[in-house]
Amino acid sequence: MVSPPSQYGIKYAVHIVSSHFGDLVAKVCECLLRRGALTHQNIVRFTEMSASQVKNCLLVLIQQNCVQAFSVEHPGGVGDASRRSTEYMALFDNIIHRMRLPKFVAVVSQELDKECVELFQGLLQHGRLTLEKMIDRAKSGREDCTAQDATRETLFKLVNARFVEHCPDPEPHLSPPSEEGAPARKRTKSSKVAAEPETLEERVLAAAAPMEAKRFLIMFDTATEEDGQKMGDSFLGVGEKRKSDALESDKELGSEGDRVLWRVNVQEFMHRFRHKACVENVRERLDGGAAVALSAMLETSRSMEKKVKTDISVPLSINTIYEEVMKGEAGRAMTLDHLRASLVMLGCERGADESYKIDLKNIIEQAQNEEVESVVLKKYGQNAYRIFRLLSKANRLLETDKISDTAFVDKKETPKILFRLWKDQFLHMEKVVVTGPRQTQFLLWKVNKSTLWPHVLDEMYHAALNLNLRVAYELEKENELLNLPIEKRSGPLEKRYNRIRTVRLLLESSLMKLDDAIMLFHNF
Amino acid sequence: MSKRKRPDSNVPSQSMTDQEKILYNLIQSKQGLGIWSRDMKRETNLPDNVVDKSLKSLLGKGLIKDVVNVQFKGRKHYLASEFEPSPEITGGKWYDDQGRLDSEFINFLKDQCLKHIRNLKIATVDMVADAIQRSRVLKRDYSSQEIGEIVRALVLDDHVIEMRSNGVGEFASIPTGRMCYKCSRSLDAAKEPRVGAMASIPCGVCPRIAHCTPGGIISPTTCEYYTKWLDF
Repeated sequence: MVSPPSQYGIKYAVHIVSSHFGDLVAKVCECLLRRGALTHQNIVRFTEMSASQVKNCLLVLIQQNCVQAFSVEHPGGVGDASRRSTEYMALFDNIIHRMRLPKFVAVVSQELDKECVELFQGLLQHGRLTLEKMIDRAKSGREDCTAQDATRETLFKLVNARFVEHCPDPEPHLSPPSEEGAPARKRTKSSKVAAEPETLEERVLAAAAPMEAKRFLIMFDTATEEDGQKMGDSFLGVGEKRKSDALESDKELGSEGDRVLWRVNVQEFMHRFRHKACVENVRERLDGGAAVALSAMLETSRSMEKKVKTDISVPLSINTIYEEVMKGEAGRAMTLDHLRASLVMLGCERGADESYKIDLKNIIEQAQNEEVESVVLKKYGQNAYRIFRLLSKANRLLETDKISDTAFVDKKETPKILFRLWKDQFLHMEKVVVTGPRQTQFLLWKVNKSTLWPHVLDEMYHAALNLNLRVAYELEKENELLNLPIEKRSGPLEKRYNRIRTVRLLLESSLMKLDDAIMLFHNF
Repeated sequence: MSKRKRPDSNVPSQSMTDQEKILYNLIQSKQGLGIWSRDMKRETNLPDNVVDKSLKSLLGKGLIKDVVNVQFKGRKHYLASEFEPSPEITGGKWYDDQGRLDSEFINFLKDQCLKHIRNLKIATVDMVADAIQRSRVLKRDYSSQEIGEIVRALVLDDHVIEMRSNGVGEFASIPTGRMCYKCSRSLDAAKEPRVGAMASIPCGVCPRIAHCTPGGIISPTTCEYYTKWLDF
């Protein structure tokens, strides 16, 4: 279940929107993030902005995939007819994704050509585009016909790689909620009610999502004969699931094809980033061989994954894995036996016909543990690190004395460390009082991940916001210097210029690394 | 009560006063755990000065002894002389006479274990204990259980990783299902230990993060930790 964004999650998201689209848009966005889905009227009321201002802000946010509209039916009272209203919901994840757009571009430029990268960047900039608009963009400075063909070809490549998808339904209809309470309130309520099966956000996104078969379907208005043939081929390539008899009807719809709205398929990138995080964790913890083996398994199974948070990979035969391993430079030196040993080292579960599957959730959890442990080590020292790891591994309540003995931390020292960790919310504590001839109190401790992880994530959003603000502050401070022509930057100015460059590099690379950690805790 | 056999030689019960007898029996019944003087006063309802005087007398006769409690350094515990203080009082075998964890020795032992695990590449606790015993660097022998405690602490340090043998590959020499240990990759000299994303920026380890807000007294633009971090 998607949990509602935390306090600093919201602050960070609002900061991103504000720096990309200005304060007015940010105000509308914040209102939606804090209050949940609202009608246009209510946004106007809460933000005290004019109706047209709100409308324009919403249009920007929808264009950039940061807000999803949907309609709900409100059952009327006695004698009243039911009425329909349109509500708007901020998409927190998509807002945060804006910080990782450079990472998306990096993936595309690694796999596809320059034209694809350009078109992809255009999509990122505009949020959503029709083929018509893409062609218009490409036309500037080029001949009409080639631009048209080339753009189609490029879009085809992007769609084929699943980097781009159809936009969701602009306003799906949501059947009225079965329980009391307007959907707008439900969202905030869901933070407390853990048993809530699905959040409003999940319901709306599911209702808006294009059918899986349509998601990557290209329908072009095939103008010229030559590329009519060419596109006919691509039809079959992309819409894998479609039967050829459906082809005819699609051709009739062809003229509609150019008006389909396309956007970046974030999910594909999340799949890839999650896999990359798993492979890197294994490389770090085990060895290069294990990383090559895992990478091959994930590369083969990626298209079969139904959702980003896949717990266990699909079983793959040893031959299939080996085939993929051989493709890579690092894997070419690997023998079948070496691969088997690596799969064992990975802790793969072996099936009957020598097929292997791996617990990805477990790898992600290990990576999350390492991230938090690393903070404990740096902030509280080696003894605290041992204690924290003990409790995290034990995953149950342990008594102070037992902790002291097992972690080899002095009995006087242990309670002090435990209290510090508890005070900073790293540990959960329970008191047990035993009444006997003498009343004795025992303290039991535990790492409670269900409360600690959201807390850690919130601090990460806080830290990310801080890094952003500091970059802006540093650049602002040296604004004059940065605008100075190169020949005037000499002596001490040169030194100051180099400093600001280093500072910027450090802050921005730290932010990208922190963003990986945010994904680890939020998206994976 | 105490099932312990009473040492016959040095208990001239006749030479004890009634109060001393009451206290002595109480102390003895607590065996290796001993008892704190204030608890004695409460349990026996004897006046403070009587208890103090009697304890002094019993100590003088060598019938009881006092030990420092590892938990509460100020609380002396009294034990009958024939008992050794229990681990609850002393802290256990890894504590010195002063009730302090013998970190220096433990670290030495950790190094020894690590050295042998590295040599053996992959080892069970028994194998490590055996290797240490044969190396004869320690004054006394340490049981597999004791070595096991040290090795598991190394796991908590992330210097050693714990895994169950499946009998193939690198585990070939170890029976399937046995727990075994190998050096963690983070110990490789060639590699920098991995620092997490949060741990490598000031905010991740900031003690004041809860008080930090944009535009506040503590803020990212005025932060001293940042200034230090960005001081090139």
